[in-house]
Amino acid sequence: MRKHDVVIVGSGLAGLRAAIEMAGRVDVAVVTKVYPSRSHSGAAQGGVAAAMANSSEDSVESHFFDTVKGSDYLGDQDAIEMMTKDAPVTITELEKMGCVFSRDEQGRIAQREFGGHSHPRACYAADRTGHALLHTLFEQSMKYKKNITFYSEFYLLTLIMEEGTARGITMMNIKNGDVEVIHAKTVLFATGGYGRAFKITSNAFACTGDGIMTAYRAGVPVEDMEFVQFHPTGLYGQGILMSEACRGEGGYLLNGKGERFMEKYAKSKMELAPRDIVSRAEQTEINEGRGIDGKDFINLELRHLGREKILERLPQIRQLAIDFLGVDCIDHPIPIQPTAHYSMGGIPVDVDCHVITDAEKTKVPGFYAAGECACVSVHGANRLGTNSLLDASVFGRRAGKAALEFTLKAKHEKISEADEMRKAKKRLDDLLVTPGTESANDIRTELKETMSTHVGVYRTEEGLRFAQGKLKALRHRFKNVRVTDKGKLFNTEIIEALELSNMLEYSEVIVAGAMARKESRGGHARVDYPKRDDVNFLRHTLAHRIGDGAVRLKYKPVSITKYQPEERKY
Amino acid sequence: MRYALFTGCVAKGAGRELMNATIFSADRLGIQLNEMKDASCCGAGVMDDDNHFLADTLNARTFSLAEEQGLDIMTICGTCQGVMRTAQTKMDNNPKYKEKVNAQLKADTGRVYAGKVKVKHFYQIVNDEYGLDNLKLRVTRKLSGLKVAPFYGCYVLRPHESSDVKVADKPDYLEKLISAVGGTAVDYPEKQKCCGFPILMANKSNSLQLSGNAIVGAIKAGADCIVTPCPLCHLNMDSYQPEIEGMIGEKLNLPILHYPQLLALALGASLDDIKANTHIVRPNNALKEITA
Amino acid sequence: MGAKFFVSRYNSEVDAKAHLQEFTVVVPKGATLLDCLNIIKWEQDGTFSFRMSCRSAICGSCAVRVNGHARLACKTQAADVIVDGEVTIEPLGNLPVIRDLIVDLEPFWESLERVKPWLVPDETKKFDRERLQSHHDQLKIDAASTCIMCGSCYSDCNVLNVDKMFLGPASLAKAQRFVFDTRDSEKEARLDFLSQVNGMWDCTHCAECSTRCPTEAKPLERIIELRQEAVNSGFTNNNGARHVLGFRESIGGFKGKGGGGMLNENYLPLRSVGLSLGGMLSLLPVGIRMIMRGKNPPMIPHIIDKIGEVRKMFRRFDEYRKEGEK
Repeated sequence: MRKHDVVIVGSGLAGLRAAIEMAGRVDVAVVTKVYPSRSHSGAAQGGVAAAMANSSEDSVESHFFDTVKGSDYLGDQDAIEMMTKDAPVTITELEKMGCVFSRDEQGRIAQREFGGHSHPRACYAADRTGHALLHTLFEQSMKYKKNITFYSEFYLLTLIMEEGTARGITMMNIKNGDVEVIHAKTVLFATGGYGRAFKITSNAFACTGDGIMTAYRAGVPVEDMEFVQFHPTGLYGQGILMSEACRGEGGYLLNGKGERFMEKYAKSKMELAPRDIVSRAEQTEINEGRGIDGKDFINLELRHLGREKILERLPQIRQLAIDFLGVDCIDHPIPIQPTAHYSMGGIPVDVDCHVITDAEKTKVPGFYAAGECACVSVHGANRLGTNSLLDASVFGRRAGKAALEFTLKAKHEKISEADEMRKAKKRLDDLLVTPGTESANDIRTELKETMSTHVGVYRTEEGLRFAQGKLKALRHRFKNVRVTDKGKLFNTEIIEALELSNMLEYSEVIVAGAMARKESRGGHARVDYPKRDDVNFLRHTLAHRIGDGAVRLKYKPVSITKYQPEERKY
Repeated sequence: MRYALFTGCVAKGAGRELMNATIFSADRLGIQLNEMKDASCCGAGVMDDDNHFLADTLNARTFSLAEEQGLDIMTICGTCQGVMRTAQTKMDNNPKYKEKVNAQLKADTGRVYAGKVKVKHFYQIVNDEYGLDNLKLRVTRKLSGLKVAPFYGCYVLRPHESSDVKVADKPDYLEKLISAVGGTAVDYPEKQKCCGFPILMANKSNSLQLSGNAIVGAIKAGADCIVTPCPLCHLNMDSYQPEIEGMIGEKLNLPILHYPQLLALALGASLDDIKANTHIVRPNNALKEITA
Repeated sequence: MGAKFFVSRYNSEVDAKAHLQEFTVVVPKGATLLDCLNIIKWEQDGTFSFRMSCRSAICGSCAVRVNGHARLACKTQAADVIVDGEVTIEPLGNLPVIRDLIVDLEPFWESLERVKPWLVPDETKKFDRERLQSHHDQLKIDAASTCIMCGSCYSDCNVLNVDKMFLGPASLAKAQRFVFDTRDSEKEARLDFLSQVNGMWDCTHCAECSTRCPTEAKPLERIIELRQEAVNSGFTNNNGARHVLGFRESIGGFKGKGGGGMLNENYLPLRSVGLSLGGMLSLLPVGIRMIMRGKNPPMIPHIIDKIGEVRKMFRRFDEYRKEGEK
């Protein structure tokens, strides 16, 4: 058994930022199923929002309001206010750690326009901002090597909960198959999102909601899982992200008739309307036969920006389109379609990232969550571009401070190692010992197809009901899944099976929440209930796992401190 | 066919046999050469370690000298070829930079690099311009039975952007030449690797290990000799072969031929014509049968 | 008709050495190499193991050797690397293999840690806001900062192949990013460390790293920038830097005098080893050997025609250097 004061699961922006905050004060362990520099924060492209007011007038107040409005009023305003206020200092700190930001003519951090923001407040490092931030924190983590123990390529199996408090985790060493316990005073999850259950997705293979589902299985409810953001510009066919910065820099969208169709949907903001609105507009154009050549994609036009600007500001975007589609955006438009991108839902937490379980904000002592796996909720029903890197940085930092304070006063509560090992090994044995006849690949393919078709940009009662039935059947089939690799050494097949079990389970939670939410709000668009319904649904969904895995929904009020909900126009 | 011959430093210094073989071969092939006696060293990549801009300006001067004669440049050194093509590609792809280099060049020498001159290694000229079929007609001594290990050298292959070897990851220029003159090319994993010469002064042991690996690889593949278009590779593998043997603890005794030497042999040169006796590892024995 | 994929299989628990296994894959149009590896794993052999994550060339997980050279599987169109219906896929080089295409990356991370890869700011200066850095200065560290730590350069580095103590291309590129960062306060200490054995001067310029690099980091160019900075900031008490000065002096002259436009191959080695008896003695055997064969360079150095032009160019750059010092 290993023992640390704090165990952080996840080594992206939130996890590393928290680790650095605590390093040297308490004994910190970071567990990651990849290596820190491989974390999916690195894939974020366009920028990180903060009202630095470097390139124009701006204010925290404006950032606060834009985010509330962008969230379709489902965001908790106390948390949003906190995040937007913390934003400038958080960015300044990252700059001081050495982040290589792009600079403006005065040498300050450069800022650009982004969807849903009323001022240019996206601080950026060309079109690889997440990469720049992640590697800065990775560098810092090497500086604190003596104070942070890294468990790279270890897979999270269970959260150890006893008497309602978190006391550690179990994990599998991917390199040799050993199951191990980490006994800790404090557990912090920063495990990222769950976009991988969709066929067209910008997410890494790793984004399988592992932490969220591990908490869920341990008895913690999950919040607002039905809210999945579809990004308007995924590369056609694969869904690989073409940053919103393309539009921030002046790119626009054209349908099959060569029209800038956003004029019909968001006359003033056009292509820089929030992502939910742009994605729906695209999907409508495609559904009504106005895709390019009548097909299921539209064009992202960048040619008018000119070679020089594209090479300086959007070099990675250009290369991705060349590598994956053979399209050079200097000479041709890029074919794009909406792609599953960001998970608004996750583990419910308060503004200090302490996990809570109900409307009364009852805390789970010793359990924290931050970043995409958490739901504070600062994004509500729809996240604004560049607010995700901000969320991860701000709340990683806040989680670090809060968890540190908690840990300094806490002690290692007792756990039963044998019991925990048995529970953890059972998860593996269920997969390894059963002979199995079902192909994991078939189940995964059908899952992704189902989610993209019926739980995508537009949803209907009928489609959701079909998905519900299909998911139940897939989960039943999964009990009989075939894992051919029985070895212990770097068994990636068993990791993929564990990830698939997470995807199947959270997909059911997404569908349950989506069926119950008979309204359209932000990323959740019901064709049969096209209007927002503040009377019945201005509230957060809390999904609880009961019995053998059924979902029971409860609700939690939205914190409204300053801005009363009003119609959202752009 | 007429070219401005850029000899490079080695052909004038520690590898004068390269010059002999070049003149012999070119003469037999009817390729006329005007030696560029006013051209400077290309910088060998080492001047880049001092100052990119100076190194590029130095090469721009060489280009302008050839343009003045109205001739394309023929190199006989893989490193010169690579360094000059890299400098040229950099300027050609970036007009602003070219302008900057030219401004400097003009201020100091009154010259300007127009961007017209082509820079080609001897082997490119033979393979692509002269043509191997044409070459075969001139071969007076087939190198039958001679197993030759091609060793490309880094600079003609990398970086790909400025390399003229069309499939830089799977080059076959040397193999084609070897079979055109009747020899057999042997394949071995080290043929595209580095000989280590550039770090001979900084880390002799690593440098010689790299050369040693190549020589051992060629021997394992059954080679009678190595042929290389780069005299720096030749120097490391030939002049230092006794040290390499000492490091490895076994006798290697593998001759390292310059590309034009192999060509010259096929065109009838004697061992004396190619100054075989100046090699540290004399090729006389390996070439015994074909020169008999 | 499918393409033949020869993939390296190895399990360090049971196999003495790796072998290539053949799979036939019908390659879908536009499929990346990673897509094909997944087709093999998901449809033909679940025990086949490799790393992957982002599939958009930013996480650096899926670097493997394709037909002998390192590449990111996700960034490579399969059709581009299938030659005559075949492609060979092996794990990265210069690192121990754990299983199939998965290598032990620890030596790579360790080499990175040796260059102290984090910013060391001047703690005496306090800033309320972000520190200023001009666009021009930021561009000097931009390229190196695009590195994704995929290990492709490490895999194909010629020097690492013979000496695992070499810092290697990725670490040197990382070091460049801090040496040139206007916000860092340890430039001199870094240059001093990087000038030691196993550092910047051990690179042979073979350009494998830059050729295999999937980003703009291009390690060789960063190494060259480090060398320029070292030579021109006086970190010249080593053979590598003296070798550069030897070039400069023999082509363009020393303190405005001499210079033949060509290398003086007698002067250069002596200049490189510096004023050390051991260094000079080490040159003796090869020197004698070459003299015996008449292979030694002529004792009177060759001077090119129109040498005045070249000397003038070098004098101009001497002036630039002096201005730089001011």
